[in-house]
Parts: sequence; C-alpha cells; structure tokens
Amino acid sequence: MTQSAWISLLQGAWTTIWVSAAAIALGVAIGFLIAILRNARIPVLDRLLTFYVSIVRATPMITLVLFLFVSAPMLPFDVAPWVVAVAAMTINTAAFNAEIWRTALVTFPREQIEAAKACGMTEHGMMRRIMLPQMVITSMPALVNEMSLLIKSSPAIAMVGLVDLTRVTNRITAVTYEPLPPILGAALIYFLMIGALVRLQRFADKYARRLAM
Amino acid sequence: MNLQDWLTVWTHFDEVVKGFGVTVLFFVVASVGGFALGCVCVYAMEGRASVAKRLLRAALDVMRTLPFLIVLYLLYYGLPQLGIRMGAWTAGVLALTTYHAAYYAEILRGARATLPVGQVEAARSHGFSPFTAYFRILLPQMVLRSGPLIGNQLVGCLKDTAFLSIITIYEMTAAANALQAIYFIPMPAFIVVILAYWLISLILERLLRRMGRYAKLRGLSYE
Amino acid sequence: MNKDLPVIDVRGLHKSFDGTEVLKGVDFTIQRGEIISIIGSSGSGKSTLLRCMNWLEVPDGGTIRIVGDLVGVRADGKTPMPERDLARMRARMAMVFQSFNLWPHFNVLRNVTEAPVHVKGLGKAEARERAEHWLERVGMIHKKDAYPFTLSGGQKQRVAIARALAMDPEVILFDEPTSALDPELVGEVQEVIGELASDGFTMAIVTHEMAFARSISNEVAFIEKGVIVEKGPPGTLFTNPESDRLRQFIRRHI
Repeated sequence: MTQSAWISLLQGAWTTIWVSAAAIALGVAIGFLIAILRNARIPVLDRLLTFYVSIVRATPMITLVLFLFVSAPMLPFDVAPWVVAVAAMTINTAAFNAEIWRTALVTFPREQIEAAKACGMTEHGMMRRIMLPQMVITSMPALVNEMSLLIKSSPAIAMVGLVDLTRVTNRITAVTYEPLPPILGAALIYFLMIGALVRLQRFADKYARRLAM
Repeated sequence: MNLQDWLTVWTHFDEVVKGFGVTVLFFVVASVGGFALGCVCVYAMEGRASVAKRLLRAALDVMRTLPFLIVLYLLYYGLPQLGIRMGAWTAGVLALTTYHAAYYAEILRGARATLPVGQVEAARSHGFSPFTAYFRILLPQMVLRSGPLIGNQLVGCLKDTAFLSIITIYEMTAAANALQAIYFIPMPAFIVVILAYWLISLILERLLRRMGRYAKLRGLSYE
Repeated sequence: MNKDLPVIDVRGLHKSFDGTEVLKGVDFTIQRGEIISIIGSSGSGKSTLLRCMNWLEVPDGGTIRIVGDLVGVRADGKTPMPERDLARMRARMAMVFQSFNLWPHFNVLRNVTEAPVHVKGLGKAEARERAEHWLERVGMIHKKDAYPFTLSGGQKQRVAIARALAMDPEVILFDEPTSALDPELVGEVQEVIGELASDGFTMAIVTHEMAFARSISNEVAFIEKGVIVEKGPPGTLFTNPESDRLRQFIRRHI
C-alpha cells in the first residue's frame, strides 16, 4: 500500500478516535447522572429514563445515526454532520453506561454507607469521598468494555458522511482497485486500538479485584 | 410529522414486514450458527495446549478486536481480490456467524473455567467419551451459567444485522431508510423500526428469564 | 451545655419492620460517663434501639435527644430534620459496627482522619496527630499505612474504634463489636474497649458477651421483645435478677 493510502487510513482512524472519545467522555458522565437520577426514584422521570435506556440499548447504531440524520432538518437550526454523529454515539453509550453505573450504585456495600452516615457525612460528601472513588474502580472493567464496543460500532458514523476508518477503505479502493490491503490495514489499526483498551481493561480488572477484598 | 405520515407508513407496512423478515432470518441463522460454531471452537480448545489451539485462540481474540463491518468488508469486498466471490447474502451470513462465534466461544470459555474439576472426573469415570462428556455434561452447565452474557450477545447480533444494509441487503433499517427517502416521512418510518428492534429484544429478554428460572431450579444460576 | 442533662435521652421509642413491632415504647437514658451494656436475645430489639439513636433507623414514634437536642426531627417533633443538621447530630456520636465497615480504598490512617477533616473541618496536620494518638491507644499505630484488606478482624475493629474516637464524640455506640470476630480475636478488642471504659468515655454497648458486659459496665439494660424489662448495675442485675425473663436469659447464657 502506498504512503498516501496509509495517510488516508490514519486520517480515518483519527476521525474514529475523536468522535468516539467525545461520545465516551459525554456518555460516561451522562450515564452517571442517569443512574443517580434513577436511584432518586422520582416517579415520572424514573419511567422515562428506564424507557430510554431500554430502547436505546436495543437500537443498532446505524439505525440511530440514520434516524437522527433524517430527523435533524426538522430542527430550526442547521446541524453539522459531526454533531449528529457525536450525538448518536453519545445517546447510545450513555444508555449502556447508565446501566453500568446503576449496578455499581445498587451493589455498593451498605455497611460503608452506614459508617459514613454514622460519622456525620452528608450524602454529597459520602458520594464524593467514599462511593464514587470505589465505584469508578470497580466499574472500570465494564466501562472500558463499553468503550471498546462503542468503537466497534463507530463505522456507523459513515452514514452521515464522516470518513471513518472503515469508510476510508472504500475511498482508497476507488483509486487503487485493490480492496484487500486497505481493509487489512484498517483491521490492523482497529486491532491496535481495541487491543490497547483490552489491556487497560485487564489491568483495571486486577485492580478492581483487590478492592473487592 | 403528522397523521398523514403515519398513514403512509401503514400503507407501505409490507415493506417494513419484508425488512423485519430479513432481519429476523439473518439474526436467527447467525445466532444459532454462531453459537454452534462457538461451542465447537471451545471444544476444540479443550484439553492439553497445542500450537493449533493457541493459534485458534489468537484468531478468536483478534476477531473480537475488530468491528463487525470490517469483517463484513473483508468477506464481501476483500476476498474477491483473491478470486473468492460471494453474494451479499452469503457474505452477510458468513460474517455474522463467524464474528459472533468468536464471542460465544469466549463466553463459554469463561464459563468452562468456573466448572468444578469434579464434573469432568465424574463424567470420565462413568465411561463417557470425551465428546459425549463435553456435549452432554459440561456444555449444558456452561450455557446455563452464562445466561446474561449470552443474552447480551444475542442482542448484539440483532444490532449487527443493521450493518448488512450497507452491502445492499434489504433488512429492516434499509427498509426504514427506503421508506423515508421515497415518501418523505423521516421520523415515523424509523420510529416503527426502532420499536420493532425493541420488541425483539424484549422477547429475547423474556426467553432469557425463562432460561434463568430453569437454571435456578437446578441450582445452576449465575447469581 | 447543661452538664446535668443525660447524654442520650430516649422517650417512648416505637419501631416496626414489615408490620412487626420491634420496639414497643422504650424509655432509656445514658448519663455522662456511664457505660451501659444492652443485652437481650436476638430479635429483642437491642440493635434497633442503638441504631435509632443515631437515626440509622428512623423510629415510628418517640423522641431521641443528645444532650437535650432533638435528633432526626425538628422542634415540632414531626418534620424530619434537614440532612445537614442530621449529619451534624451524628457527628456528635460515634458508632462501631459489628462488621467494622472500614472504607477499603483508604489506608488505616486515612480511615481515621477522613471524617475529622471533612466533617469536623479539622486541619490535616491536627487530624493526623489525633489519628496517630488514637491508633497508638488501640495498638494499631504500626499499621497506619496498611490497607484494610491486609488486616485481621480484630485489627480492623480496633481501627474502627480509633476512627470513632478521632471524632471526639459525646457518646460511643457499639453494635455487637465482637460478634463477627473469631474467638481468638475477641479478647484484644474487649481489652481496648475496657481501657476506654476506664478513661471515662460515655458508651453504650450492645453485646451478647455476658462476662464482658458484667466486667466493664456500670449499668446494664435487659431488653426483651421490644421493651426494657430491667435496668440496673451489673452487680445486682446478674446476681439478683428481679424478673423471671431475665433469670431465664441469664441461665441460658452463662
């Protein structure tokens, strides 16, 4: 494969990375908020959030991207394609992260909460100092796993015209008429990216297990 | 979005049904096939280590680091360069099956590791051949122990069928896209299809719960 | 602060769980400097009584006061106290739990300094000094950098006691402090509690270790089926129980 082809691949990889990273950052935070809100058991909101989580987890990424893309013109303002892509990926991953955080919240040892309460800690202080640090550590394997899954569904963003790592192979093939090398090149780059995440996940798993005592 | 749009969807509902049928067909074939292939792979990796087994394990691990679409591209666009041509449907089925087989293999491998050693010993001492011991004694337990993970994987397979629309297979997402493009009804078409995906996943969830009860009765729950 | 007021004053306490009434109108006081053991069979309500004192369980009726100040509810006796005020009340008491409940992501020293710094607002240096003082007192100073998962049950409980003491509480509540310990480790914890007793702390101890209760307390309360049946100094209570139920209880546990 020529150098320019590799450069195209790397550009595609960059698109994949930055869109995924944005969605991950937003999705983890929003997922946490959703979990906290659901834990508060506000009547109508609880139903809505449960519905949202359930439906989004069953919706294919490509369907979600297309849905938002064709619905965007209904908005009173123009929406750039990359906004649709990031929005779709965020909506998707937030739902999964909401479940991960919810599990962490629900399984958090009550005894530690009681000890914190007995010392006079407020809910806010408790969450900041006692619960969140541990929840992050114990949820890390699941959170990293979800990040890998998100990147693996990122080729869907090509539907809005973004040239991600998978779509770029079509572009290269259009010029070289040799589809296999760019596809293998893209596969290699995905392998390296996800491989790094998997390693991170295994490391997080070991660290989390130590906490579980 | 107004009532007229929804009526349009209803008029052309047969398109949605056609897409639904294709989605379900691919989903069922790939899930059953992928699961079966996964079981075979785990069986192949059973026993003493060997180069072949390690290679298989590595191949499965690599597969799981790739997006589904890349695997699909490899089969549909890549192989023709080596002279192997196949239609979209063939590529779709092969890609879905082998891709998810890798995941099922990993799930079952994890469950296998949690089975007590005594199980294998009991089977052997009763005269079971390794093959029968595996498929009649070990595998059922592995499956029952992996309930939620298998359930998750099934939903994942369902969602991956949507990628088939990229290689011109007329499944549900393609149907929604076609409807919205031809009749200018962006939201209703997709909403109906999203609800359909949701419906299938709810059915799967119910089946999974039934399996969970079956497992619990036998003390083989994953909880 | 009126020195004559009891540190803990419980009046007419009622508590039900799932329709079963566990505390049926309990009146109870802990005077300053008193060490009171609460004994009773399982299900008698002794733990519930203790946990109501710091509002870990919310009573269905009755009042709790700490040195005259209402706990858990506002002056009208009905509206629940805002969370911040409740937290402040709780900071004046300390609780030692049956399962220690140390925070696993902090080392021993941090477990003991965390609340003083972030609840009482102590400076880090001062909190550290205090923590080291109490850790030394309970014999755990050599483990101040260790993490809870490396400690034995007895060691964890001693750290939990240091954590409680570091808050400089007006009363220490012990909820079956040795029940979760292996027999060999019970002694070291009882020894520490005994030493604190002779230091003049106000303590309430729920326990089923009769000999221990007898040796360190100056007051014993026997609770059965949600009611305090007898209360008095251990000397007379154990040798001359007034009620039949207490007599039976002692016979079963000695």
